[in-house]
Order: sequence, then structure tokens, then C-alpha cells
Amino acid sequence: MARSATSATRFISRIVAQKALGFTGRILAALGLVAAITFVCFGLIHVNATTAGFFYLVAILGVATAWGLAESTIASVAAVLCFNFFFLPPIGTFTIADPQNWVALFAFLATSLTASQLSARAKRRTKDAVDRQHEIERLYSLSRALLLTEARLAMPRLVVQQIARTFDFDSVALYDRASGEISRAHPNDMPDIESTLRDSTLRSAVIRDEGSHLIVTPITLGGEPIGSLALRGAPLSDAALQSLLNLVAIGMDRARSQEAVNRAKVARQSEELKSTLLDAIAHEFKTPLTSIKAVTTDLLSEPAGKLQKYQRELLSIADEGTDRLSRLVTDAIQLARIEGGTFRLDREVQFPASLVAAALRQMKSLTDGRQITVSAADDLPQVWVDADLIRMVITHLIDNALKYSPPGSPLAIGARAGENTGENKVIVYVVDQGPGIAEDEQPRIFEKFYRGSSEPNLTGTGMGLAIARAIIRAHGEDIWVTSKPGKGSEFAFSLPIARTGSVQ
Amino acid sequence: MSTGRILVIDDDPQIRRAMRATLTAHGYQVGDARTGEEGLEELRANTYDLVLLDMNMHGMGGIETCRAIRSNSEIAVIMLTVSNTERDKVDALDAGADDYITKPFSMPELLARIRASLRRLPQLPRDADLQPLASQGVEIDLSSRQATVLGRTSRLTAREFDLLSYLLARPNKTIAHRELLQAIWGPDYGGELEYLRVFVNRLRKKIEPDPSKPRFLLTDTSAGYRFHLAAKDT
Repeated sequence: MARSATSATRFISRIVAQKALGFTGRILAALGLVAAITFVCFGLIHVNATTAGFFYLVAILGVATAWGLAESTIASVAAVLCFNFFFLPPIGTFTIADPQNWVALFAFLATSLTASQLSARAKRRTKDAVDRQHEIERLYSLSRALLLTEARLAMPRLVVQQIARTFDFDSVALYDRASGEISRAHPNDMPDIESTLRDSTLRSAVIRDEGSHLIVTPITLGGEPIGSLALRGAPLSDAALQSLLNLVAIGMDRARSQEAVNRAKVARQSEELKSTLLDAIAHEFKTPLTSIKAVTTDLLSEPAGKLQKYQRELLSIADEGTDRLSRLVTDAIQLARIEGGTFRLDREVQFPASLVAAALRQMKSLTDGRQITVSAADDLPQVWVDADLIRMVITHLIDNALKYSPPGSPLAIGARAGENTGENKVIVYVVDQGPGIAEDEQPRIFEKFYRGSSEPNLTGTGMGLAIARAIIRAHGEDIWVTSKPGKGSEFAFSLPIARTGSVQ
Repeated sequence: MSTGRILVIDDDPQIRRAMRATLTAHGYQVGDARTGEEGLEELRANTYDLVLLDMNMHGMGGIETCRAIRSNSEIAVIMLTVSNTERDKVDALDAGADDYITKPFSMPELLARIRASLRRLPQLPRDADLQPLASQGVEIDLSSRQATVLGRTSRLTAREFDLLSYLLARPNKTIAHRELLQAIWGPDYGGELEYLRVFVNRLRKKIEPDPSKPRFLLTDTSAGYRFHLAAKDT
């Protein structure tokens, strides 16, 4: 803090020094003008005192109009001295013999001072009016420049350059709090301004130095300081400054939201790319599998006796291998798609009973020879789900139950109203009478490639339950297992009830 | 041994080879094409009874090719798809395919579907069954296989005729999904509700005065479909 204060002071004093230099120059010029008039009137054309007095007055009015009150006051005093010395008798001395001339001298002084004051004031008013007009024009062109140009990522640089160009500031610097960066209109503008800018944002304080026209002011958006702006080299009315700050705030906000939109667009594009890539991979793997499968299944469909027993056995091995590879590809891609977030839920209102029935239909060839109890009451509320995906979850659970329970043992599948959740849920469950799952194994079975220790023949892909969990989680719901060794397992998951009104 | 001419449109040479070998062995005459455009060309040049169409081809995809085929032909089309999501199946049927099968498929299953699709002549409705429809402004010309309603004329495919005939013969009675599927597609079917949804919609577009507010072909939610005909004496 102390360091920033000293650097700000050092900075301001340097600007004051520059300003002082300009003022001295103008004083010298005004004095030179008085000297020139004296030289012309006294040395060259020898006019009388009255004429010389008028010459001086005109010159002083000129100085007041062109430069200002301070310059013209000093010029007035100099002119009074010269008038006295060169034109009022006794000439060549500062003494005045005739008392009437005292009156003349003071009248001259009073006239020249009043005239300077009036003309300086008029000048200031005109200048103010012109300034206001310029400010408005500049604000307008700045607002066009900021709001009509396509928002780019280099927005802060654009802002400072536009401000410097439109308002003729010597230097402009902008501190963006979000990025922590400082942008300058010219790379070597105000090298010491950094800490002052940060300080201004931090304390929400305006730091100003009138003499050097330096102002460092916070930029706020909705009451929140989002950065600060340092302007040097041109005066600016409070109203104009406020409008300028508002414009910058709007511009920065616009750049920020544009950036957010761009980021979202890039994310969506990469999502689409991933999705397309996964489709392509699925296609590339499935195509050769299709020709293999066509060959093996066609040969296997030959009537018995046409193939030797060992040939049929070998073909069956190839055929089953094809099925397994195909399942692996399907599951791996499904899992990548769900985990990578490259899919969208396509939710519809569905009857829980028809989801269960559809899954069972799909598994028909595998569930033959099993006694399956289905219980899904027709009066269960409808659920709001992606039917394709939920059907897939149920088939994975059925597949899992078939694999981990003795052949021929019964299964129970169904849906019930969510109990003790207190929320609007429907629970779908699959119960087997397998060996059950040890408690320490239960948390791991939903992990990828985890296989239960009791699986007799490793025919699965080890991804079924992981896919099921990913799908259920994408619905914002939960999946769990309840099991005791020797007592079978119940896999269950919850589904959200469709809001009434959307039911058709 | 079966007979029939089948055009295989698939961009993968191995699949074309496998299809040509197996289908030929089962008695079909087989032609093939590498792209949708080539397939359309081949269909113009030669006569075929059925098209096996790959859904995911480079260039003109299967869906687009199917639409192009349907724009001037009622030939049977079976779509081969990689994905088995409901949306892809519905897309395939919506584009005018009669059936689809998911890759990789077993040959006996494909052959069963080909046989089901190749039943040459559709079950046409009896004239007597058409009378009540005609009296309500729906003209069906069996010789040209066209339906005209409110001046709109469209051709019905064989499957659509099968569906219409079956329903017309059993008016005002809810027919379960499974019964309809097995009657129209064959005994191996029963769970493919999306077939019915798509085909009923296709039929509605051709015979209903206002397809969005069906008057004849009604859905009995989660039970089946019903062909509504007002009693004659009203």
C-alpha cells in the first residue's frame, strides 16, 4: 500500500512539472508581446500616451482570450509599468508628476484587469460548450466503436485504443479485475500506473490529479468493481466521465459474455466431434464383425450331418467370439458416450410396466427356461425417463442376474412405488437367487471391468453395471444392491415420476 | 430354395462378398452396389425384388437413399443399421424401409426377414370391406394400389396394404400389438412396437382426411389399434 502511494505521488509530480513548463512559456510570450508594443510605440512610431494605452489594452484582451486570466493579469501589470515608464511624464522614470495621470494609470489597470477577466470567462464558457459538444460526439463515436465492432477476445486493448483515439488522451490504461491484466493504449504509457489502478479497484476509490488531468477511477457493473481506468492528458467533465465508464463497463461485460458463449460453442463442438468419432469407431468395428457373423451363422445353420462335429464346434467358437467382441464394442462405446457426456437424455413419459416388459422382450432368447415373476402394477405413476437407456439398464441387470445365479433358478423383476424416500420415485428391481455378494465386494461391483468372484465363465464384458450406473446417474437418480451371501441379491434403481399434466 | 433378386447396397466390400456368397447359396440372385447413387442407378437399370441397404454409408447415406427409392418404387427395403437405438430404427422405418436388422446379425434371422418381405403379393382388402371407406370419401383403387382422399392420391406399399386389409376386416375392434405384428410381419415378430407406430402413421398420412386427427385408424393407448367405422345405418 505504502509503495503504491509513493509511486502515485511520484507519477503525479512528474505530470505537474510538465504542465508548469507550458505555463511559464505562455507568461514569457505575454511579456514579450508587451515589450514588443512598447518598442514599436516608443521607439519606432512615437505615438502619444492615449494611443499606446489602447494598444496595450488590445494586446491584453488578446492574451486573455487566447490563454487565460493568469497570463493576462501578469501582462496587465507589465503593461502598466511600461505605460508609466515610457509614456507618462516624466518619461524614463516610474514617478508620475501630474496627479491626473495617476487616475489615468489606475483606470488603465482596472480596465485591463476587468477586460481580461470578462474575456477569459467568455472564452472559458465557449470552450466549455465546445468541450461538452466534443465529449458528446466522442462518447457517441466511442459507443459505436465499442458496441458495433464484433466483440473479440482482445476487447480490453480495443477499448483503451478507442478511448485514446476518440478523446485525444495522452495515455489510457485499463485494469481488468477478472483477468488481472492491464491494457495500455500505447505499450509504454504510464509505466508506473499499475499499482494505482489495482488500488483504485480494490478500494473502489477515485484517485485524481486536476493539474495534470490524471484520473484513475474504478469501473463498476451492478455495484461490483470489475476493474479501473486511468486517463491522462485531457480534461473530462464528470458527466462525460461517468458515461465513458458506463460504456467501458458495458463493453467489458459484453466481451465477457461473448467469451462465455464462445467457450460453450467450443465445448459443444468438441462434444459433437467426440460423438461422431464414437459413431465412426462403432461402425469400423461392427462392419468386419458383420461379415464374420454372417459367415459363421450361415454355416452353422446347415442341416445336421452336413458338417462334421468338430467343424461345428470350431464354428461355434468363432460365432461366440464374434458375439462377445460385438458386445464389448457396444458396451465400451456406450460407456464412453455416457461418461464423456456426449449424449443427451431424450426423456419421455413412460409406464414403468412397459419399460420392464420391453426389456424382458429384448432378453427373451436368454430368459428361456427361467421362471420369471413380473410384478409392476398398472396404477404405478408414469416416469420421466429416456426409455431406450432405461430399457438398457434393465437388460443389463437381467443379464447380470442370469449370469450370477444357478441355471434354472427363478428371477423376480418389477417396479414399485418408492418407499421411505419421501420423494416422488418409482423403484425398479431385479432379484435373483444366486450366491449373493459379500459386503466388502458390494461397493466395487459397479466399477468398470470388475467381475464378481463367483462368475463361473467370464462371458460378460465387465461393463454392464458400470453402464447401468452411468445411465441412472445421468437421470439424477441412484442405483444400489442389497445382498447377503447365500440369500441372493436385489439390484434396484429409482426413477423420477413424471409431473402430472405432461401425461398423455 | 427361395427365389428372388436382391440388391445389396453397402460400402464395405467384405459385407458385399459375404452377402453375395450366402444369399446366392440360398437361391437368390444377388447384385450389389457400393454407394447409394450406384444403388439407385442399378435399380433403374435392372429389376429387383428387395434391397438390403446399409444405413451408415459415406456420401449419400442409407436414409437418403431409402427416400429416393421410395419416391418412385414400392420395392421391399431392409435397412442394415449399426446402432439399435429406437431413434435410428424409427428413422429407418420413417424413410420408408419395411424392416431393419442390427449389425452384426445372424444369417438365419436375415433370411427370415427377407422371406417375410418377399411375400410377393400383398394381402389386398376385399371389395366389401372397402365399401364403408368409400362412403366416407376414401377411394382405394386395388388395381393401381392407390388411395385417394380429399383429392390427395398416394400409393400404398405391400406392407401398408397388409396392415390396412387386416384392420379393415376387423372393424371397431381393438387389435393387440403382438397380433398385428405377427399377422403382418410374421411369427418371429411381436415386440417391435416402433414398426406399428411408424406404419400406422404412414397409413394415416395416406388414408386419413386429417392425419393429425385420425378418424379411422385409432390408437388404444398401450393396448393396440382399432379401425373405427361408423355403423352403416346412421
